[in-house]
Amino acid sequence: MVDVNTPRTSRAAGYLMLLPAVAVIALLVIVPMVVIARDSFAVSDPLGGNLGGFTLDNYAKLLDPVYAKTLGYSLGMAALNAVVCTVVGYIVAHYIATRPAKTQPVLLVLVIIPFLTDFLVRTFAWITLLGSGGPFISLLRLVGVDAPSLVPSQLAVTLSLLYAFLPVAVFPIYASMRSIDPSLKEAAADLGAGWWQTHARIFVPLSASGLASSVMLTFVPTLGVFVIPVLLGGGKDPLVGNLIVTLFTEFRNEPLGAALSMVVLVLMLLSVAAAGLILRARSNRKAGAV
Amino acid sequence: MNKKFLAFGAVALASATVLSACSAGGDASSTGGAGSGSLSIYAWAGEIPDSVIEGFEAETGIDVTVDTFDSNETMISKLAAGNSGYDVVEPSQYAVQLMVERDLIAEIDKSKLEGFDNLAEKFVDPSFDPGNTHSIPWAWGTTGILYNEACTGAEVTGWSDMWNPDYAGKVYMLDNMLSAYIAGLQVNGLSATSTDEAEIATATDSLLEQKPLLGGYNSTNYADLVGTGDACIAEAYSGTTSAKAVEANPDVHYIIPEEGGTLWTDSFSIVEGTANEDAAYQWLNYTLRPEVAALVTDDASLASTNAAALELVADQSQVENPAIYAPADSLTNSEFIVDPGDALAYFQDGWTRVRAS
Repeated sequence: MVDVNTPRTSRAAGYLMLLPAVAVIALLVIVPMVVIARDSFAVSDPLGGNLGGFTLDNYAKLLDPVYAKTLGYSLGMAALNAVVCTVVGYIVAHYIATRPAKTQPVLLVLVIIPFLTDFLVRTFAWITLLGSGGPFISLLRLVGVDAPSLVPSQLAVTLSLLYAFLPVAVFPIYASMRSIDPSLKEAAADLGAGWWQTHARIFVPLSASGLASSVMLTFVPTLGVFVIPVLLGGGKDPLVGNLIVTLFTEFRNEPLGAALSMVVLVLMLLSVAAAGLILRARSNRKAGAV
Repeated sequence: MNKKFLAFGAVALASATVLSACSAGGDASSTGGAGSGSLSIYAWAGEIPDSVIEGFEAETGIDVTVDTFDSNETMISKLAAGNSGYDVVEPSQYAVQLMVERDLIAEIDKSKLEGFDNLAEKFVDPSFDPGNTHSIPWAWGTTGILYNEACTGAEVTGWSDMWNPDYAGKVYMLDNMLSAYIAGLQVNGLSATSTDEAEIATATDSLLEQKPLLGGYNSTNYADLVGTGDACIAEAYSGTTSAKAVEANPDVHYIIPEEGGTLWTDSFSIVEGTANEDAAYQWLNYTLRPEVAALVTDDASLASTNAAALELVADQSQVENPAIYAPADSLTNSEFIVDPGDALAYFQDGWTRVRAS
C-alpha cells in the first residue's frame, strides 16, 4: 500500500495513475497530430501518393483566396453556432439549475439521451422533420401557408447545428450556475431588481466561466463539421471540413489536406488562447477592484 | 456531480459528435462458417449480395469476410498504407488505372480463369484496363439524369435541361468532381474524358453559371429528393437507389442524356501480394458464372457485366428498368470515365472555384 500521507510517494502514485490517460492522449491525439503536421510539408504525386520530402508549396497553395473565403464562412458559421448554442444553453441550464435538487439529474440525463443515437441518423431525422412531407411543413400548410421545403436552407443548418451541440453548451453553464447561491436571487428581488437585472447583474456574471467554456466547446468542433452542410444546406456553401475531405479523397492530395487541417488547428488554438486571455483579464480586473 | 465531471462530459459529447461523423462511412462485415481457407474482400457497399457470398462459402468451404467502402479513394488509401489483409478488391474503372500504376493490384493469370467469355463485349478489353490484365468487371451502370415529371412538367432529354432556369432551386448535381464535369463537358458538346485545359475551363464556366440554379450538390439522398419532388431534376448514378425511385413513383424517370452517355463499372481485382491467391481465383471464377452474376441484378438492383446472366435474372422487370440497364441504343456514344492523369490539376482548380463561388 502506498502511504498517502507521505507527500513524495503520493505524488509518485499520482503520476503513475495519470500514466494511462497520458498514454491514451499521446497515442490518439498527439501522434496523429504529429503525422498530420509532418504530412503538411510533404510532396504529393498526382496518383495520390505521399512522397515525403519537405516543401512549403502546400501552404503557398492555401494563399488562394478560395480557401480564405471558405475559412471565413466556416469561422462565421462556427461563431454563430457558438452564440446560438450558448444563449439556448443558458436558458436550458438556468431552468435545470432552478429545479428541485432531485429532478436536476433526471433533466440532465434527458438532455443527453438523444445523443446515444448515431450523429448521422439524427441528421437524417432533421431532413424528415423539415422536409416537404414533414410535420413542420404539413402544419404550415394546414394553416394555409404554402411553405416550400426547409431543406436545403441556412435555417435547417443552423437548427441542426444547435441540436448537435446543445448538450455541450448546457453542461458547463449548468455547472457554474449550480454554485450560485440561491439567496442571491432572493436578495436581488428584495432590492427591487427585475427579471432582466437579475440575469444581467447576477446570473450571467457569476456563470461567466461556464458561458466561456460553452462558447469554446461549441465553436471549436463546429469548425470541423462536414456532414450537416451537405445534407441540410444542400452542400452549395462548403465549410472548411468539406474542403479537407475533398482534398484528402477526390483530389488525392493528402499533404494539401494536411496543410489545411493545420491551418484550422492553429485557428482553433488561437481562439482558445484568446478566450483564455480575455477571461484572465476579466478576473484580474475583478481582483483589482476588490 | 462536480464541475470537472460536467466539463469532461461536455468534452466527451463534443468529441463523440465529431467522431461519429467521421465513422459515418462505416465498415460493415459479414462472415460465414468455418471451412478450408479464408478470403477477405473489400468491396463497394451494397454491390455483393449476401446470396453470392453464402453460395460461394457453401460450395468451397472458404470463409469469406467482406468489408465495404463508399469511395475509391478510401479503399486506395487503405491499401496503399500496406498490410491491409485484403485478398480481393472492387475498384471502379479509373481506380483500376491508379492501382495498376501504384502496384496495388496483381496481374491476373487468364489461364486460371473459367467463364471469362461470359462477359459482355463492352467489358472485354476496356479502355481503362486493356486486355483485362488486372480487373474482371462485375457490375456496371451509367451517369444520367433522374427527374420527376410532375415537377418538371415536361419530358427531360439532356444535360441542357439542368441549366433550365424554370427549375431554379430544384436542380441537384452529384457532389463529385469528375461526375459534375461529365455534365459540364457534355452540355458543351465536349467529350466527358477530355484532358484539354481550354475545354475543361469551358466546362468550369458552365458549372459556375449553373450554380445559382442549384438546390445543392448531393451524392447521398438525391433519389429521395426527386421522389418527393423537392428536386425536379438531378444528376444521378444508375443502380439501386435510382432504380427504387423509378419503381416507386411513376412520375420519376431515369434517362441517359442525349448529349452523350458515360459508363462506370466496378471490377474484381486481386490484391498484390495476397496470401490467398487460390481462393481469390476461385472467387473470380465463381462470380463469372452466369447464374451467380444474375444475383447482382436480382438482389442488389445493379446491372451485371455478364452477358449470359441477363436471361437468368428472375425478375425481368429489373432488366427493363433503365435505371439499372440503360437501353442499348442510348449507349451508342457512351464511354468510360477514365483517370484524367495530369489533367486532374485543371479539374481540381476549376472544381475548387465552382464549390467556393
